[in-house]
Amino acid sequence: MNMEDLYRLLRTGHIQAQGIVDTVADPMLVLDASLCVQNASRAFFETFKVDREETIGHPIYKLGNGQWDIPELRRLLADVIPKATAIINFEVEHTFPALGRRTMLLTARTLFHPDGASHTLLLSIVDATDRYRRDMAKDMLFGELRHRMKNLLSVVKAIAHQTTTQDRSAKEYRDVFLGRFSALIEAQELAYAEQDEVGVDRLLNIILAPYADKPEAVVIEPGEAIELGPHMIMSLSLVLHELATNAAKYGALSVPSGQVRVGWQVEDANSKLRLKWVESGGPPVSRPAVAGYGSQLIRSTIAYNLHGEVEQDYAVDGFRTEIVIPLGTAPSSS
Amino acid sequence: MPETVLIVEDEFFIAMDLQLMLEGYGWRVMGPVGTVKDALLLLETELPSVALLDVNLGRELVTPVAEYLKAHDVPFAVATAYDRPEQYGGEVLAGVPNAGKPTDERRLMAALMQLTGR
Repeated sequence: MNMEDLYRLLRTGHIQAQGIVDTVADPMLVLDASLCVQNASRAFFETFKVDREETIGHPIYKLGNGQWDIPELRRLLADVIPKATAIINFEVEHTFPALGRRTMLLTARTLFHPDGASHTLLLSIVDATDRYRRDMAKDMLFGELRHRMKNLLSVVKAIAHQTTTQDRSAKEYRDVFLGRFSALIEAQELAYAEQDEVGVDRLLNIILAPYADKPEAVVIEPGEAIELGPHMIMSLSLVLHELATNAAKYGALSVPSGQVRVGWQVEDANSKLRLKWVESGGPPVSRPAVAGYGSQLIRSTIAYNLHGEVEQDYAVDGFRTEIVIPLGTAPSSS
Repeated sequence: MPETVLIVEDEFFIAMDLQLMLEGYGWRVMGPVGTVKDALLLLETELPSVALLDVNLGRELVTPVAEYLKAHDVPFAVATAYDRPEQYGGEVLAGVPNAGKPTDERRLMAALMQLTGR
């Protein structure tokens, strides 16, 4: 082999090495024994917005106005690397002038030269900031889902408990429970569906749809558009369900000629929602001797969950309910 | 004299469920209440033997109630879906027995017995 051949071989080797370094998708540095940059991958220049001239041949701690002079990195290169030939995913948090605060995963490997006297250090730098953020957001979402699910199960359990078995056959109990359960399911669908906001009209339409055998049986009067939070949707769904089942059992919806008109207004500078439920054309109304669980449920849900008020009027020509709910900042599901 | 328990839970159905459960065991229930304000108002009139707290009350956290109870030496348990309530409600909830959510009756009674030494 003559000089020419040797030169060609070394050159090929060099081009090959450069090719390998550039193929790596992550920023990578090749450092010599004194921690000067021998080579850098294309991704390094792109990620840290530096050029070849200011990088190659310079000590790593002096690069880009000393942005790599990081205590953890110094510790890694000075203390850890000499003892272990490879370090994988060493986490470093640092504020880079061009990138802001980032979490970098450093992987380093020492390459010993055959002559044994010197060594080279390969250092790859993976920006894990976005991945960490995504992971954290995912963890939070899972936590939130889990929490929401447990709450929903608690409500289901409580409703199963509180739906009385007194004077009811097992089938009757099941039907009453499942009616309430279905209202809860509808509410969940509405509250957490991945689409636009839920207004009063949409809630009324969905919860009351099963009771509108004929279009004139349930009339929903158009009102102001107003967005409802998940908490409000759940409570109102259950209340509307109770009103509708009561109407279907004893009130206007128990006869073909009966009708329910539902309307709402937003009052006092958007601070209150007033919902009116007016039945007509049904059998004559009389106040029940004892308030049933359904009407207790309506009162308690509105008062306790929504801090609102309910007025129920057993007018002889049709039962009426008026509900006023304060519209505060929407609370999260609890 | 039956022992008294304060229930703080913002969801009506769950609050009722806890109340009925505890009354079934002969406890006298204070509340239930669903806000910090209502809980503190009740506590000004009477201190219970023990309290059962939900952590997230929708618009607010139960923390001020827990702090008030602690300052007045009233033991309390939480009934929450959170695994580590202190992450949400602060240090005052660290190490407090959690009856869980949905709340298991036996787990709830065991927690309250442990707190009251009954």
